[in-house]
Amino acid sequence: MIRIWSWGALIIGMIYFILPLVGMTEFSLSMRRGEYSFDAYAVVLSDSQFQATFSYSVIMALFTIVFGVLLVVPTAYWVRLRMPELRPYVEFITLLPLVIPAIVVVFGYIRLYNTSSWLPMTGTALGTNILLMFGYATLSLPYMYRAVDTGLRAVDVGTLTEAAQSLGASWVTILARIILPNVLAAVLSGAFLTFAIVMGEFTMAALLDRPAFGPYMQLLGANRAYEPSALAVIAFAITWACMGLIQLVTRFTKHTRAQT
Amino acid sequence: MAFLEISHLDKSFGANRVVKDFNLSVEQGEFVSLLGPSGCGKTTVLRMVAGFETPSSGNIAIDGRDVVNLRPNQRNIGMVFQAYALFPNLTVAQNVAFGLKVAGRAKAETAARVTEMLALIGLPDLADRYPFQLSGGQQQRVALARALAVQPHLLLLDEPLSALDAKIRASLRTEIREIQQRLGITTVFVTHDQEEALSMSDRIVVMNGGMADQIGTPFEIYNRPRTRFVAGFVGTLSRFEAVVKDPAKGAVSLGKQTITLDQQIDAAAGARVTLALRPEAAHLGRFNGCDVILPGKIAEVHFMGSVIRIKADVDGQLMSLDTFNRAETPPPRIGTEVEISLAARDFIVLSA
Amino acid sequence: MAGMTSLRRFAPLRWLGMVPFFAFTFLFLILPTLYIVFGAFRTPQGAFTFDNILALNTPSIRSAYWVSIKVSFMSALLGCLIGFAMAAAVTVGRLPRGVRNPLVTFSGVASNFAGVPLAFAFIATIGPAGLITAYLRTEWGINLRLLGFNLLSTKGLILTYLFFQIPLMILIITPALDGLKREWREAAAILGASGFQYWRSVALPILFPSILGTLALLFANAFGAVATAIALTGPSLNIAPILLYAQIRGDVLGSPNLGYALAFGMIVITGLANTVYIWLRARSERWLK
Ligand SMILES: Nc1ncnc2c1ncn2[C@@H]1O[C@H](COP(=O)(O)OP(=O)(O)OP(=O)(O)O)[C@@H](O)[C@H]1O
Ligand SMILES: [Mg+2]
Repeated sequence: MIRIWSWGALIIGMIYFILPLVGMTEFSLSMRRGEYSFDAYAVVLSDSQFQATFSYSVIMALFTIVFGVLLVVPTAYWVRLRMPELRPYVEFITLLPLVIPAIVVVFGYIRLYNTSSWLPMTGTALGTNILLMFGYATLSLPYMYRAVDTGLRAVDVGTLTEAAQSLGASWVTILARIILPNVLAAVLSGAFLTFAIVMGEFTMAALLDRPAFGPYMQLLGANRAYEPSALAVIAFAITWACMGLIQLVTRFTKHTRAQT
Repeated sequence: MAFLEISHLDKSFGANRVVKDFNLSVEQGEFVSLLGPSGCGKTTVLRMVAGFETPSSGNIAIDGRDVVNLRPNQRNIGMVFQAYALFPNLTVAQNVAFGLKVAGRAKAETAARVTEMLALIGLPDLADRYPFQLSGGQQQRVALARALAVQPHLLLLDEPLSALDAKIRASLRTEIREIQQRLGITTVFVTHDQEEALSMSDRIVVMNGGMADQIGTPFEIYNRPRTRFVAGFVGTLSRFEAVVKDPAKGAVSLGKQTITLDQQIDAAAGARVTLALRPEAAHLGRFNGCDVILPGKIAEVHFMGSVIRIKADVDGQLMSLDTFNRAETPPPRIGTEVEISLAARDFIVLSA
Repeated sequence: MAGMTSLRRFAPLRWLGMVPFFAFTFLFLILPTLYIVFGAFRTPQGAFTFDNILALNTPSIRSAYWVSIKVSFMSALLGCLIGFAMAAAVTVGRLPRGVRNPLVTFSGVASNFAGVPLAFAFIATIGPAGLITAYLRTEWGINLRLLGFNLLSTKGLILTYLFFQIPLMILIITPALDGLKREWREAAAILGASGFQYWRSVALPILFPSILGTLALLFANAFGAVATAIALTGPSLNIAPILLYAQIRGDVLGSPNLGYALAFGMIVITGLANTVYIWLRARSERWLK
């Protein structure tokens, strides 16, 4: 009886999830009349705009990841090791991006860091890129922080640090050589998630007027029929790849942990 | 017909046969313990009685009624789990009242019953606490009250004391037994702690590998273990290899001596048998009423307070013996040559 | 230990480690938000005023907020219900073990498959020329549009949002369902409770804080979603985030400070949802430390 209900809930749910995926795939293959073809993909992939925005977003994602790791790992480590009393506050702040809509934050950026302000970041392309990267970093902050903090919980930070200190290691050495490798799986999980978020992000890039992948997709969607579906399939593949890599990394480290 | 009648009970998980032809009759009001090492199937037997597992084959009857096909909530059984299992979102009073509430009893009746139960377990003031505000011992008492509140006719306890520390364990042991006797409720108690089983039970079932090795009163189990397993699992024993000389007369040769046990031996002459001896049956020096004297050499001395446990080397085999501490006699030194006296009738012959 | 005490003596040094984090979050998360909040109460000249807030009270802006709240709440509620049902099915629903991990993995993917491409997927499926729309029309003669369904409407928006709301609920509630101890269910059963009584008196109250928290999170999640809505309906649908988007791009409201007020209103609503959640949770968690 219970089992029938369970199957029912699961199957109905899965139908809801699978239909749009089938729909977009089917549509993306239907550019040529009467037969399936990869024409839509060919058009998209050879579009110079696609190439430009895609690589722009990839580079932004990589920078965001590096910045996020440099910001989050030392902070999470320091909070665990030396400032546990700050934990609730730091956690609260890292969760804020889930509550404050991104569009509000970027609105603040535009007004706060425009050309006539005290920190005119939007004045140059480089400055705007950095601002956008900061925006992406706040978006991924909740995930990055939680991933790293969970990773740190699994290793005994205090003991590792004391052991390293007793051997005369400096803070930088401790972080780079001891802590980071031990939370590498967590950091990578956070990194792949950040990658997925940045690749699909629309609002911030559009409002800061940067040539990113998200706004490009939107623009194409407004003007074309089949290409958007091809883009959706590509975006879905990227998301799937990122999540797959996260699974892989977690499984791999579980494996090595079990061995030691 | 006994109150709880378990016959030919079998349970397999896949290819793993966990309970094998298990038989047990528990009389009305009796306190029976299932004792055995970890993984021997005690919990599985209990869970089949409760209705959480379905037997692969065999029968379970409570009060003359076959219950195998009844769901747990139709069996009128009380159960206490090892990990307390109090509902964390309910207060102590609400936990105790739970069974009465779902049975749709009147509010006033429920309240009175809760008060009565909390008085029974000696925690009348904690009615409004939440489980996380209680110590482990208090939680387990509340769990007992919750199980008893619905007046079940059978009480099942699955290692209720094993998560508690030693002091509370001992006091709760007597408390549970007292409550059980006051209410006269038929009880099956699972434990892997022999002391618990010996001190609380009317009868003990020693389980090994899914089977009941021996069923008997604590006195029988301790003094007349029937199998090597029971002998080894319950209490401490010294073992001696002996050769049967005359099975009818009970004569065996042990080292250079021949001793006559006051029982017949179920083995042919010339066969090797294992004799076992409780540490309290052996004495240092010559002792009244002992007919066997073995030479030995002190190998280990463990001072445990009121008791001193000594291990002596007898003919190359280690033998445990307990003596009471006496302020005027210090324990013997290691290496001292001694005589050990014992009575031949205290030997236990282990068959299997 | 030596390092610890020496660091304790130089307390400021301990704080030094926190400077990058606090500086970053202050400058790029909190300050921009505060700037908007204060801007909502200022005239363009910088004087204090309530006019911007009062100016929100036009039929069009009121309706934008109202539609947003409706869409967010409905998608959050449905997401919670359906996500809960699916998570319960794979945790306590006696399904084979093998279905659980694939579902959780898939949820991880689907919850991150939001924004523009998600809208494309739905347009390709049940948009005016979508797969299902066409199939129903040609094979069954059913015209969804005539039946009152239109993807480019609030209903369509809710349907689309569910694609990331349901998986998010699954991801959050599955561990909570795992936290339900088997002994609780068994203790309830042996005390005579039916499955329904167990869920009502024990399991749901225990899960209540997690469910509420997810509801608030899903609400905020949908409320701030700009990309999906824009890609799905273009700038035409009158909901708060799209209105704000248009205002930022082109000052459609004709007053920058009215834009601040609009954004402030959004923060207030998501903030309120979370306050309600925190309050309810504190009430329901008296039994937790
Ligand atoms: N649901 C199950 N599925 C498969 N095997 C099980 C299941 N429950 C118990 N077993 C196996 O059955 C055997 C007996 O388990 P049981 O829990 O009855 O032991 P026990 O005597 O209660 O041990 P302990 O003292 O550790 O509680 C064990 O080997 C266990 O692994
Ligand atoms: Mg057990």
